[in-house]
Amino acid sequence: MAAEAESATKTPSLQELLDMEKMTLSSKTREAQSPTERWMRYLGFPGGILLFLIILFLPAGAGLSASAQSGAACFALALVWWVTEPFPTYVTSLVLMFLLLVTRTSNAKAIMDVLGMEVIWLNLLAFILSSMLVKTRLAKRMALWLVVRFGHKATWALLAFLVLQLVLAPLIPATAARCVMTLPLMIVVATIYGSTEATPNAFGKNLMLLNLACISVLSSVTMTGSSANLIAVGLIQNMGGHRVYYMDWMRVGAPVAILTMVLMWILGQKLLFRMKPEEQVPQVEGGLDLVRRQYEAMGPLGFQEKKAIAIFGLVLFLWMTDIFHMRWFGVEISAPFAALLGAVIVLFPRWGILSWAEADIPWHLLIFSAGAYAGGLALDDTGAAEWGVRMLFGGMNLKGVPFGITYTVVISVMMYSHLLTTSKTVRTLIMIPIIITLAKALGWNPLSLALPAALCIDWVVGLPISGKPNVVLFSTNQFTVSDNFKYGMMTCTIGVLILVLSGATWFHWLGITPSFWAVAP
Amino acid sequence: MSVLRLLILLFLPTILVATTRIDSYTIKFQALKEGGGQAIATVALVGCTPGNLVLPLGFQSPEELRLEESPAGVKLEVGPRNGMTSLHLLFPAGMPTQATLRFSFTVKEVFQVLQLAPGEKSLMPKGSRLFRHAFVNTQEAPIGIYRLEFLFPEGLMAQAIREQQPKPKKSEVLPRVILSKSAGVQTAVLQFSDLRQGDDTSMTLELVPHRRSLGWLLAGLLLGGLYLFKFRDLIAKKDPDPTR
Repeated sequence: MAAEAESATKTPSLQELLDMEKMTLSSKTREAQSPTERWMRYLGFPGGILLFLIILFLPAGAGLSASAQSGAACFALALVWWVTEPFPTYVTSLVLMFLLLVTRTSNAKAIMDVLGMEVIWLNLLAFILSSMLVKTRLAKRMALWLVVRFGHKATWALLAFLVLQLVLAPLIPATAARCVMTLPLMIVVATIYGSTEATPNAFGKNLMLLNLACISVLSSVTMTGSSANLIAVGLIQNMGGHRVYYMDWMRVGAPVAILTMVLMWILGQKLLFRMKPEEQVPQVEGGLDLVRRQYEAMGPLGFQEKKAIAIFGLVLFLWMTDIFHMRWFGVEISAPFAALLGAVIVLFPRWGILSWAEADIPWHLLIFSAGAYAGGLALDDTGAAEWGVRMLFGGMNLKGVPFGITYTVVISVMMYSHLLTTSKTVRTLIMIPIIITLAKALGWNPLSLALPAALCIDWVVGLPISGKPNVVLFSTNQFTVSDNFKYGMMTCTIGVLILVLSGATWFHWLGITPSFWAVAP
Repeated sequence: MSVLRLLILLFLPTILVATTRIDSYTIKFQALKEGGGQAIATVALVGCTPGNLVLPLGFQSPEELRLEESPAGVKLEVGPRNGMTSLHLLFPAGMPTQATLRFSFTVKEVFQVLQLAPGEKSLMPKGSRLFRHAFVNTQEAPIGIYRLEFLFPEGLMAQAIREQQPKPKKSEVLPRVILSKSAGVQTAVLQFSDLRQGDDTSMTLELVPHRRSLGWLLAGLLLGGLYLFKFRDLIAKKDPDPTR
């Protein structure tokens, strides 16, 4: 009897699984599962405090102000707590915000203003749109179609998401928007494969982390993939004296990003999070046939679904056509305002789709993001991030060294530096000018280092706080911070390897890089 | 003598000196804990001609002004110009076209004293000080590089750079103000290139005592210890399942 009951709880019916209106992005802390995780939680709290005290009481660095030093100490504490999770991540964010104030790293206004940042608004509004997709059952329909079409095996379902993100990347530059519009699909598909918030499995980890990496990494396929890419192009032109055209970027960026994601699609399943045989097929009673029947039972598109498509289409249209807004409307409707317009229609009495109470807005996630951004901004504003980068490059003597070594160092620093900042734009503004200056000082063509380095800008995949999509996907509780770190580090390392190989071959043949053995005169 | 000749004779020194260019203008300022400080300035001139040169100074009320190094016959005086403290240099006949001048001066009070009105809240903790330096190129010739190296008084360090103007241009890699260390003392260097007439640059530093409060250490250790004690159940071995 007990076994039957257990079995019944383990295999919920498809109807139960797809009852998405009952699903919310929970603020519950995930239970520590393994002894290692429990030890991490236990030691993480004092570990974070210890690191904070060490950095705070270190002799003043030559180029660091006291506020930069305390900012680095606060951020290090929060980073340890976010990774080891002695508290829910949003509590750590609140602690961080308080610490930034009492250590005089940032003032109250700067900390509080973070909650009004564009990214926070975009998250909030995008969740309203996401709730609309759930309520109208459009998300369920799309997910069932995806599983019926590609879901015979988990691996093909994962590949379908890779392709989906690759198609969306050039169309919608806002990564958070891309993430939120595909999030309901991810949740339903993960659920069909037995991965829920309460019982996450290897499929769920693979699905969420593959999407997380795809959303960020595939932004580097085109130079319009993110505004930070365009800033880098501007800096290369102004400081390096080289104009980078759309196709120049694409022919170096696309192969690297796509190849890396294809490799991660394979390695994620084969190496990092191996799926058990039962996780590789839909885990619902009746299997794929039932999913197909369920899809067919949904019948043709309902009126509400069509309305949702129209609203979402309008928002999507505004996201995709932002470069024409000024010409058409005399004003640019930025991504959050396009989502705001969509939210207004969705919430409109009688004509809309949702009431405010039906919108699933995960405030804990917004607080988590706010803390992470406050910490990241403090590192930037106090000059701690810039000082760190300068010390790193300044500490290495690259004069007279073969180009290949300099190139590898620059790419590695650029790739992994995303762990220390939460803004791609700020990282670009700090790193690219330094790399251009370094190239000039060493006697290399600035393009040879700056363009490959610029390709790393969007690869913000190491931690849940590294990018907006990461924050959103982390809220699904399908993976831990350490899962994210493992997956992100592997993605970045493969990226570095491919970029180094490309630098020695493909980029060299294109005339971007000199020979790896060349030594500057 | 015609009026024209008279005018030419009158303005000749000015016209000649107007060709004098300032290649670099650097000031090393050692601030003292008591509030004053001592400066040594070095000015590299090119295209020097006999006559007057008015050199703007970014410090109010300099005292004990002394010319430390200069070609023979050069005279130096303090005098206001357009409401700004300026140095008046007089170059004698036979002045070499390239010259380096070094002069020193002291300043009695360099830190801003914030006067709080009754009931007004203080925005800085006790013991904090503000140092503000602003420099405007009030003279005709451009200045190649203006550089102020501020050496912190013993026992004080920078809490934050509150102001650094103007913002670096796209072609500049370094920030306007760089914190560094020189002979074991923290320094802040303000640097701006190619100042034309009317260009200005400024920085404001907040200085705090070097030592951190031990309260952080005590609170941190106490909290860490308490957590390890109160949350030890996290790593306690779970009892085996009694149903098995």
